Amino acid sequence: MNIQVRIQSAPFSLLDGYEQTLAQRTDIGAVVSFTGLVRDFNETPDVTGLTLEHYPGMTERTLERIGEEAWQRWSLQAVYIVHRVGYLTPGDPIVRVLVASAHRREAFEACDFIMDFLKTQAPFWKKEHSSNGEYWVKERTTDMQDAARWA
Amino acid sequence: MKSDNMQLTHLNTRGEANMVDVGNKQETRREAVASGRIMMQPETLKLLSDGKLPKGDVIATARIAGIQAAKRTHELIPLCHALALSKVSVEFDIDHEAGCVKVTALCRLNGRTGVEMEALTAVSVACLTLYDMCKAVDKGMRIEAVQLESKQGGMRGDYQREPSRAAPIVTGEGATGEVTLGERCASPCVRVKFLAELRERVGASDTVLDLKQVPSRDIAGLKMALSQQDRRFSVLSDQRTLCAINQVMANDAARITDEDEVAFFPPVTGG
Repeated sequence: MNIQVRIQSAPFSLLDGYEQTLAQRTDIGAVVSFTGLVRDFNETPDVTGLTLEHYPGMTERTLERIGEEAWQRWSLQAVYIVHRVGYLTPGDPIVRVLVASAHRREAFEACDFIMDFLKTQAPFWKKEHSSNGEYWVKERTTDMQDAARWA
Repeated sequence: MKSDNMQLTHLNTRGEANMVDVGNKQETRREAVASGRIMMQPETLKLLSDGKLPKGDVIATARIAGIQAAKRTHELIPLCHALALSKVSVEFDIDHEAGCVKVTALCRLNGRTGVEMEALTAVSVACLTLYDMCKAVDKGMRIEAVQLESKQGGMRGDYQREPSRAAPIVTGEGATGEVTLGERCASPCVRVKFLAELRERVGASDTVLDLKQVPSRDIAGLKMALSQQDRRFSVLSDQRTLCAINQVMANDAARITDEDEVAFFPPVTGG
């Protein structure tokens, strides 16, 4: 299994994962990547930033397990997941999931699957800072419904 | 630009006090938010929130005082212009855990000069009024952390105070990819962590519990033992609270053994 997971506070580029995944390989036919960014509106309209906290150790293991489940369900050639922690401001990238496979359908579906489970199972917590103060972001039932689609 | 910003506009070229001529500046929408707090004894805070202080409704009086003060800032601060404020609001947040009243003031206008002095004055005078209203029962009160939170409008651009970094970026001391074991306990024990919002609600990031104190050696027993220690731990029995043993999700019936790491946390919100 070619599954890589990284937790970091440093920013990553929108090309992150491509070079590592594609280097010296000619059997990959499709690469799908998803990048999540910090929005300037969420539960309140004026989000100035957010602090992302995680549970070191459990976070990596959870993401690896989600990658492994995707690996079992679809025929994949690479899974690359990077998630940032610490203080982020609007426009900053938070998360990136890149999936490579021989054909596009597998890559599209596996990327969607990984994001759905990352959002509902990986131990990350967001605290939003806005002009009205700071508060912890509440979980969304729509995220749970999205993850339930794969049952 | 940096050196321009560092100049004090209230001093002229000879270094003397100088009221800035704002006649040629464009009118823009200006807004400033300032905050501060007054620390007091828990008993004083209780009297205040119960409305039992001898001088009457403390918060309502302090609010009016803050609004009045914002309007009269130019009379107090020598080089401030008189402004026709379009909005002043003063809000109070009674924090029993921290033992303080937090005061936040917002001032707004369409004009040629900023309103941060007005917001700071409103907070200061609201705090002073709180002191005056409560001093009969508590003379040790302390006014603290009066500061600008944000301002918008004006040629120097917007300002937003960076959030305090007191909260840890990551939870616990464990290195990435490792389960924290820490030092061995003398007798059988479990290490308990509280993460994210839960850490703030219980007011602790971790604790060690002797297994002898636990009525049954499972998560339900652990929750019971903690709730008996301190009522703040009752949040652990909340339906939303999640739990992991040695970093694997667990439920109330899951067994706990010596040296286990148990974490309690709210639903996850990453991605």
